[in-house]
Amino acid sequence: MLPSGVFNRRPQQDMAIVRTSAQWLLLAAALVFLFTLSLYASEVWVNWLIMVGIYAVAALGMHIMTGLCGQFSMGQSAFMALGAYTAAIMGSRYGLSPWISLPVSGLVAGLGGLVFGIPALRIKGFYLVLTTIAAQFVIMWSIRQFDYTGKTYGLTVPAITIGGSALKDAQFWWLTLAIVVVMIFFTKNIQRTTTGRKFVAVRDNDLAAEVMGINLFRTKLLAFFIGCFFAGISGWLWAHYLARITPDLFTFDLSLWFLAMVIIGGMGSTSGAVMGAAAIMAVDKAVPYLSNVVEKAFPSLGFQIPFALGLILFAVVVMFFLLIEPKGLYYRLEKIKLYYRLNPFAY
Amino acid sequence: MDDILVQGFLMGGVIALVALGFILVFKSSGVLNLAHGEMIAILAYFLYQLLAIWDLPAWLGILVAVPTGALLGVLIERLAVRPLLGQPFLSVLMMTLMVSFLLRGVRYLAWGPDSYILPFTPRGQWEIGPVNVIPATAISFAAAMLIFVVLLLLFRYTKVGLSMRVVSADHEVAQSLGIRVKQVFSISWAMGGALAAVCGVLMGMVYTVTPVLGGMVLGAGLPVLLLGGLTSIPGAVVAGLIIGVSTALGDYYRPGGLNLGEIIAWIVMLVILLIRPYGLFGEKRIERI
Repeated sequence: MLPSGVFNRRPQQDMAIVRTSAQWLLLAAALVFLFTLSLYASEVWVNWLIMVGIYAVAALGMHIMTGLCGQFSMGQSAFMALGAYTAAIMGSRYGLSPWISLPVSGLVAGLGGLVFGIPALRIKGFYLVLTTIAAQFVIMWSIRQFDYTGKTYGLTVPAITIGGSALKDAQFWWLTLAIVVVMIFFTKNIQRTTTGRKFVAVRDNDLAAEVMGINLFRTKLLAFFIGCFFAGISGWLWAHYLARITPDLFTFDLSLWFLAMVIIGGMGSTSGAVMGAAAIMAVDKAVPYLSNVVEKAFPSLGFQIPFALGLILFAVVVMFFLLIEPKGLYYRLEKIKLYYRLNPFAY
Repeated sequence: MDDILVQGFLMGGVIALVALGFILVFKSSGVLNLAHGEMIAILAYFLYQLLAIWDLPAWLGILVAVPTGALLGVLIERLAVRPLLGQPFLSVLMMTLMVSFLLRGVRYLAWGPDSYILPFTPRGQWEIGPVNVIPATAISFAAAMLIFVVLLLLFRYTKVGLSMRVVSADHEVAQSLGIRVKQVFSISWAMGGALAAVCGVLMGMVYTVTPVLGGMVLGAGLPVLLLGGLTSIPGAVVAGLIIGVSTALGDYYRPGGLNLGEIIAWIVMLVILLIRPYGLFGEKRIERI
């Protein structure tokens, strides 16, 4: 909302992703800050940032599928696995360059999404959610079965090399950041185009959208394709970051993490998905510290504390947001920003 | 071969009982309780605690566990689900999932990652006519069938059951008939919780009390639930038997060395959903704009 008396005079202003020159400056400053962060931040935090970036890409895909188009998915991590395994197979079995496997990973995951998205035309709600859970189990099961995909032992992924030397963590952060920025731009852009409008119409009422002449089948499938494409890219990043992937990484719980990221960040907002990823990862980061404290208080509980505490803390945080702040971080931030923008007036 | 089929058939009945726990809650309150699996697991561990550590006799342990389950159900409904009344279904779904995370965390804190065997689990094999059956499964199947009959009678003849059916048909109509809708929600959650305790006893016998029990039960129950069509009790039984037998066959044949038994339930579910989007016995909902 703009302050009283300030209007957008041209349609371009309404459509602009970055509206004012001050915002451009802030954006540039933030990008420079994030870009140089890996030069002086400690290695632990650089690793954390990379994981936030990787998860943020998958959460953005979730945002397009769930937040914009209203197609709930609880199988995002399996689509991530499709991307990651495509990268691993192309890299280690065929020796192809990671830059070739980057788009292919996305495409394979997207096609997987299409296959499991086809039922979405006829079913929705609980049925669709459970179909995506089925996707999670079927995909991960197939990966575990075949020698070609390394069964339960997993596959090694050759490192990304630039100029003959493998990327170090600091450089990998730059790569991650670049991909995240491109993906954020893509998502922001889709929201202001016909496609994004169609997604929102389908989300709000798919019957009404169909009556208005929107091709439901195409729109829903496109949402699935794009969402899973993002998951594939994120899987590509994760595979190259870890250098070795196993099926145990891509659990059903991880899929729920992505859903939680979208919910915590705020349904239907792009920056919310990124904020949600950062928030969930911050919770994850806090678990070891907290479990140290608990372990000192109750030494008899032993080694199960970190795992159990991780589950409990995650559950409590998401429950807090569901009960107290159902619109998520993004809307709280918007409210605060609006307050200062309009200060001292109320509108 | 006969043994395999019979075993699958019996398991199907037990899995249908798990699906029934979802149906009880879903039918009246429209909430898909994804915490059901973890409720079953934590109650099985609780029962183990009662029997093996506090040395209660088996009948007393079960008698304590079932009301505890009902209490757990009511608590979840009151504290977690009721505040979300009227929110989009994803929030409620996520809430029940988070409850299940919470229960799993508490379970790990209290009992750790060890597996236990319930003390009254019968051993060996029974010969019934021409086939051998595993006694734990056979007892569970009998108990499950008994509970189905009781529930069918309950929904047909008692006031509670009838009011639950009215609530599931239409909340506003139920309210105008003088039924306390929220109380019915609580009752159905209590019944769901009690059923989870019963499932805990039976699943604890069939699978032993393991840390993965919750996820395993959820993974077995959800395809059955969907195949049967979310609201239908006979549907759950039929779907349970179909999936039980097909899982047993998948485990037995292993085409091409693939461990098909793990996944066949989901595949059957996906295929049937493509043909009949509302499950075998589900109600087709007609939507208006």
